[in-house]
Amino acid sequence: MRARDLAEDYPLVALTDDALTAAQLIAGQRRPGVVVVDADGKPVTVLPGSQVLRFLIPAYVQEDPSLARVFDERGGAEACVNKLAGRTVKELLPPKEKRYEIPMVSGDATVIECAATMARLHSPLVIVSDKDTIHGVVTTSHLLEVLLAPAGPQT
Amino acid sequence: MTIAQFLSVGVFVGAYILIATERVHRVAAALGGAALMLALRLTDGETAFHSLDAGVDWNVVFLLLGMMIIVGVIKQTGLFEYLAIAAAKRARGKPYAVLAMFVVITATASAALDNVTTVLLIAPVTFLVCDRLGLNPIPFLIAEVLASNIGGTATLIGDPPNIIIASRAGLSFNDFLLHLAPFIVVLMIAFVVVCRWLFRDSFQYHEDRVAEVMALSEREAIRNRTLLVQSLIVLGLVLIGFVLHSALHVEPSVVALLGAGLLVLISKVTTEDAIADVEWETLVFFMGLFVMVGALVKTGVIDEVSHALASAAGGDPLLAVMALLVVSALLSAIVDNIPYVATMAPIVGEIVAAQGDSPQSQSMWWALALGADLGGNATAVGASANVVVLGLAARNGTPISFWKFTRYGAIVAGLSILLAAPYLWLRYFLLA
Repeated sequence: MRARDLAEDYPLVALTDDALTAAQLIAGQRRPGVVVVDADGKPVTVLPGSQVLRFLIPAYVQEDPSLARVFDERGGAEACVNKLAGRTVKELLPPKEKRYEIPMVSGDATVIECAATMARLHSPLVIVSDKDTIHGVVTTSHLLEVLLAPAGPQT
Repeated sequence: MTIAQFLSVGVFVGAYILIATERVHRVAAALGGAALMLALRLTDGETAFHSLDAGVDWNVVFLLLGMMIIVGVIKQTGLFEYLAIAAAKRARGKPYAVLAMFVVITATASAALDNVTTVLLIAPVTFLVCDRLGLNPIPFLIAEVLASNIGGTATLIGDPPNIIIASRAGLSFNDFLLHLAPFIVVLMIAFVVVCRWLFRDSFQYHEDRVAEVMALSEREAIRNRTLLVQSLIVLGLVLIGFVLHSALHVEPSVVALLGAGLLVLISKVTTEDAIADVEWETLVFFMGLFVMVGALVKTGVIDEVSHALASAAGGDPLLAVMALLVVSALLSAIVDNIPYVATMAPIVGEIVAAQGDSPQSQSMWWALALGADLGGNATAVGASANVVVLGLAARNGTPISFWKFTRYGAIVAGLSILLAAPYLWLRYFLLA
């Protein structure tokens, strides 16, 4: 099986798109992330859900587990919406120099090539693309489904 | 000057310049300097590793190691977060009251823990409380780091320069409590009052945001109650051990190591977690420094500098004490106070020995400690804790510029030295 056979349609967001919309795209279908493209439609990076959380939760709370516990959840949803309002997708991303390379494979890539790319780049999905054509993406759950299929369900 | 003296001064000055200018990592500079001293036979292995006067001061190294392990475990309990949030709630979110409580907590904790750890623990809570109150966290962070340097001056274990001074001078934990702690209490009171004026534009807040602070649940901060109880018992025993170490004839380093060992043994903390917060770089830096300074002692440089300084003071102990206080403060404001004190300790030791055992001569040690510890507040690079807070502030999107820090730090350092000078004069000259 090749990557193009596994590729499924996936929502794309532009760097200049609204951050709240991107977060809602992830939340709505419980996706692990979304693909970010530039003005020409070329993939720039993957915005994983964890990166959105990194933006929402203050760094000092992320670094101090004790503080995370004292943080009350009252007004949490409102606070998240406020924090994302007026921001762009670009602002959610880490600075360019700190970004991983784009998790991308060609349509001919094998299942293991896809898995190796995702594992190396800690990405929850890999973009399947040939030249300027994006075939879609392969998600971790889809890939694991394929890899574990021969073993059959555990009893 | 002999060739050996000339070479040892050359290597030492070269390494010091590299440390001060940060052209290479300070550990590389100290280790490189130590290696050169050994390679040029300005010192030898026996002296470097086993001499009490001219070798690595293992008391200092192991005292730091033991305390770093204990602090690393206490950090995991959430005690500090609990205390700070409870204090902010007790202050009912009033900014000046919150700041006063935070600086008192920081100073008190710094007397028992190292300054860098203390500011690393208080800074996240400060961000949280300021976020909730809609306040600028910068004045709070600056006040806390200044308080940590002041509080650390009070005890033998509060600041690394004090550990070096105690070891080189043979001073006990109680000596520091008797000679420095009372002055530090007075200085802290003055500092809290000065903060009201210093940060007067930073205390505007909206009453309706106080509820957001009151909603924080400090009890949730305690992640492991058993570990908290174990840590507090061991810390209490270690502090009792420090107080009694002279009577028990046990070095402070042994007390700290026993405490660290006991805590790791009785708690379920893994060895990896227990030593995760040990700053190995700092310990190696100390070792390199001690070998370099030891070479200066062995080649007789320290002896000659001591005589020159003693004669420059013209046999006037008060002049010598005041000069040492002011020069130490000025130098510590611009260079790391650890290498400064490591270098000055043997020099002061020679001068004190030459003057004989008297309150006046002993006050040289207190002048060195007060100058080096409190002078570090003057600039953003004067103390390790200052640099750490600047980094934390930048990462959280509220950068503090060098000059912004220095504007407040210089005032507080100047005030500290202005108060320290009459304290030394009154206690060791007028009323001695």
